[in-house]
Amino acid sequence: MIGLLIKDFKLMQAQKNFFICIFAIAIVMAMFIEDSSFIVGFMTFIGLMFTLSTISYDEFDNGNAFMFSLPITRKDYIVEKYGFGLVVGGGSWLLATMISVVVEVMKNSDFSLDTIMSALTMLPVMLIILAVLLPFQLKFGGEKAKVAIIGAFGVVFIIGIIIVKIANLLNIDLISFFNNLPVISVGMLIVLAVGIPIILLLLSAKISLSVMNKKEF
Amino acid sequence: MLKIEHLRKNYDSFSLDCSLEIMQGCVTGLIGQNGAGKSTTFKAILGLISIDGGTISILGKDSQEFGAKDKQNLGVVLSDSGFSGYLTINDIIPVLDHLYGNFDKPFFVEQVQRFQLPRHKKIKEFSTGMKAKLKVLAAISHDAKLLILDEPTAGLDVIARDELLEMLREFMEKDEERSILISSHISSDLETLCDDLYMIHNGKIIMHEDTDVLLSDYALIKVDHKQYENMDKQYILRYKKESYGYSCLTNQKPYYMENYPQIAIEKGNIDEVITMMIRGKEL
Repeated sequence: MIGLLIKDFKLMQAQKNFFICIFAIAIVMAMFIEDSSFIVGFMTFIGLMFTLSTISYDEFDNGNAFMFSLPITRKDYIVEKYGFGLVVGGGSWLLATMISVVVEVMKNSDFSLDTIMSALTMLPVMLIILAVLLPFQLKFGGEKAKVAIIGAFGVVFIIGIIIVKIANLLNIDLISFFNNLPVISVGMLIVLAVGIPIILLLLSAKISLSVMNKKEF
Repeated sequence: MLKIEHLRKNYDSFSLDCSLEIMQGCVTGLIGQNGAGKSTTFKAILGLISIDGGTISILGKDSQEFGAKDKQNLGVVLSDSGFSGYLTINDIIPVLDHLYGNFDKPFFVEQVQRFQLPRHKKIKEFSTGMKAKLKVLAAISHDAKLLILDEPTAGLDVIARDELLEMLREFMEKDEERSILISSHISSDLETLCDDLYMIHNGKIIMHEDTDVLLSDYALIKVDHKQYENMDKQYILRYKKESYGYSCLTNQKPYYMENYPQIAIEKGNIDEVITMMIRGKEL
């Protein structure tokens, strides 16, 4: 599995110019925009997207057939991809947060706790995005995955509309329903922010593994 | 080393039913036309596709139980797949080093230099010959017990092919217990390298013979109509109508040479045997 990780980092190294560009753009943006949380989101997302790209690289020229004849299992591959996603996504998040803080200190000679807090809220979002995108990419491959993801969001949107319509028909006031939901404590919020992404990631890995097990090369 | 019994795989327009065995210390060739089922057989052995029936036993283990650790003992070349083209040889050295416990890095690096393969160039920019040599090199650099090579010489010029076959011979010489399963279109590759040959056609094995026997006892008999009528046909495997009469494939050349000294008997070569086995009619 370490061999696979090395392969993906070597692929990343081959794209170093692209990453240097992203790094430069992030620094310039941090200097000119007020809300630095955007940079954290932007860079983290790029990191996650590269994980998906490595899957495309693996599939390029039917490379998967040879790769799975090497001493690895399909499970190793899945574990490696999630691991790589977490390392690269987490790494870009850390780098972006550091850029935000450093630039803020340079501008105001101090930094607010809000910057760190808003960066931290990006973490569960990043994990959820990873959990959603990886099975799609593995199932449908590069181009088709994009269509499938858009389709999936469409379906979620339509389900939302249907729920609202049904609520209207039944004379249920959704807004007051949500307003009247019991307020949760900060402790609970942290538990949810950590727990939900982890559960989703595990579920996602299980789905990805069953997708991989069905694949023929 | 490898035993396949009634391996079945069904596609819409093709179905495979293949049995073959590779003995320890032997190089076994698999020959057949494009689409005959060679690559499907290889992929089934490697667990890359699911199978619809039959059993595959590799190095004494059922293929279903053949895990990542067991795969350390295999060296694989696939015709239509290889390392990611975006990597360089320098990139894949640490990858192989971590994947294979027995990866012989000094040997690999030495061979890369011997074949003048560029270490810093992306593999997708390699010539066909370079790519083929790299694939074989990766397969023979970790002390594998069994090599599974699907068309390793496809698209190569004579020199590159010779170099590649030389690599395989050296691999076999180092350890007598090693075995190779190899497929190729080029029969001369197989004639010089293989101990025995399987011929596959439309998903079925239609012939299995030792290469020596094939070259010594198989022959093409060319006869006119009258000779054909009077000839003993019990050792004729296939026949084909020609302008002059018939050409017949036999696996008992000495018998016909002794009993019919007047008829034309040509020494068989693999290409002719393949052609007759596929195009010729059975009696």
